[in-house]
Amino acid sequence: MPSSCSTSLSFFVAAILLTGIPCTAQSVQALELRELIRHVEQQYHGSSSHARTEMRVRTEHWQRSLEMEAWSLERDRFLVRILAPPKERGVATLKVDKEVWNYLPRVDRVIKVPPSMMGGAWMGSHITNDDLVKASHVDEDYTFTLLKESPEHYLIECLPKVNAAVVWGKIVYEILKPLLVPGTVTYYDEGMIPVREILFADVRTTGGRTLPMRMTVRPLDKPGEETVLQYQEINFDVPLTASFFSLRTLKER
Amino acid sequence: MLWRLALRNIWRNKRRTALTVSAMVVSSSLLILSLGIFSGMLSDMLASATEQYYGHLVVSVTGYQDDRDFFDNFSPDPALLERIASTSGVRGISPRLRAFGLVSHGQRSDPAEILGVEPASERQVTRLQEKIVAGSYLPDDPEKGALLGRGLAERLGVNPGDELVFVTQAADGSIGNDLFTLRGIFATGDSRHDNGLVLVGLSALQRLTVLPDRVHELAASLEDPMTAGATAAQLNGQLPEGLEATDWGQLLPEMQEAIAASDVSRLIIVTILYFATGLGILNTFFMSVMERTREFGILMALGMRPWRVRAMVLLETLAMGGVSLALGISLGLALSLYMATVGIDLSESITPITYAGGTIAPRLRVVMEPANFIVPSLLLLVVCLLAGFLPANRAAGLDPVAAIRED
Repeated sequence: MPSSCSTSLSFFVAAILLTGIPCTAQSVQALELRELIRHVEQQYHGSSSHARTEMRVRTEHWQRSLEMEAWSLERDRFLVRILAPPKERGVATLKVDKEVWNYLPRVDRVIKVPPSMMGGAWMGSHITNDDLVKASHVDEDYTFTLLKESPEHYLIECLPKVNAAVVWGKIVYEILKPLLVPGTVTYYDEGMIPVREILFADVRTTGGRTLPMRMTVRPLDKPGEETVLQYQEINFDVPLTASFFSLRTLKER
Repeated sequence: MLWRLALRNIWRNKRRTALTVSAMVVSSSLLILSLGIFSGMLSDMLASATEQYYGHLVVSVTGYQDDRDFFDNFSPDPALLERIASTSGVRGISPRLRAFGLVSHGQRSDPAEILGVEPASERQVTRLQEKIVAGSYLPDDPEKGALLGRGLAERLGVNPGDELVFVTQAADGSIGNDLFTLRGIFATGDSRHDNGLVLVGLSALQRLTVLPDRVHELAASLEDPMTAGATAAQLNGQLPEGLEATDWGQLLPEMQEAIAASDVSRLIIVTILYFATGLGILNTFFMSVMERTREFGILMALGMRPWRVRAMVLLETLAMGGVSLALGISLGLALSLYMATVGIDLSESITPITYAGGTIAPRLRVVMEPANFIVPSLLLLVVCLLAGFLPANRAAGLDPVAAIRED
């Protein structure tokens, strides 16, 4: 369950991790948080997904909407391609392990995102390149404490390990009962000031798994700005191999 | 009468006179030279700060220069350009658009500041065209040409003619990207710009960022950089609402402080050097007066008034000071002219030093400023008179009987 914190960092991984949670309320109480992590990892091993999503970004200066098609394999590979608007059709992002590349069809070039730009916005949204890279490894980078349990939810505090290279000082993760889906995730900076919130909503059951179909990212220092990711359809356990996640596939249109 | 006595006294001990005059000549000429070098260094720093990037004055949306907000842009209408251009002292104006993004070649990418300019206008404001180390400056119609700083070019492994991809966030939220061709590489000695600045055509960057006909600033160069503050104040009274003129003193406060600090250190150098010179003169004249105690006694016994004795000694001082002044200025001028035209090239032993936003070139040179000659000259005369005053008073205060009896 605590490893579900990683779902908040990337909708690509969210689909996978959530589908791996089989626990009931009773079994959660019986399990230590760390054992739950290992359990989730076993469930999650080998999972793949294929999804169509819409991302709406609203900033102080502009609003825009993107339609995207995304594939993911396990925790470290995903590929996302923009389908609309026409101006950006074909723009794609590939992530393998900790490397991120962007393909730009207009100039037919692949640009690797340098380390110094990992903090930059991904596709102009409020999700950063760093989110894409770090999302899958929250269970490795953080320690977990159950802050509070009520009939409605679990509240889990995630603190970074001493040697983890992460940007957040703390993450507070809410899991709603009884479906065990994420609710609100709050991010704190190193000064323990809340700077970002991710809200999950629109819970549906699809492909035998229950998961939220909408994720809203809100920077707390810029009220009025937000990024909304809405799943339109998603399929699991599709036949994908590691070779699919290559620069050659990145360039296909 | 007093003049003849004074001059005769000066020549009485030629060696002492020669030594004293030499001391004054050397100190004043070296002072003139060092002040000139100081001015040269400051001039280099100011030029590199303002003439390699900033300009002397910029007009932009109020507050833009504080945080470089990408969305603080404006459309420069011809009337505005004309008003700024017709302001007295303005030499050139360059419209600029600024974006931050990725510059990529092959497998390498680096973040950079991309500055869109009109090359013909930019050449009037900056001197990057004189800092080209490979290829050439942007042509007047740059199309998709780009200039890169040397450090950035080395990291990307590119040479003139190579292809570059620029990626940035456009004003409409989309990913702006385009192919450019490297036209040239510049090296200013300022590592911040050499490692992260790219120059492209203004219209190309406007298309890339989806900001048609918009700019972030109008950079201006002035005939005299020191008038930037006054010119900015004048413009601020004329600019439309929402725009402000900012001079280099505000853009580069540390440069302003460096100049003030340099003025103070110059004053300290002048004070120390002339204090030492004054002591030398004082010593000379005290010895001279002591040697002639009996003579002064006889003169006073004959009826010479104390004020005339004092005047005679001061005239001696003034005469020596005058001669030293003429020789000192001549020598200082000669040394300064040599340094202004030839200079001393230290580039083999040191690299450019960036300080306070400006770069000190590894070449000592002199800037000829009237103040650098006038101040040492006047101060030399003042020092001579002050140094001569004590022995003059001593001479004037002698008691004739005691003075004559002494031997």
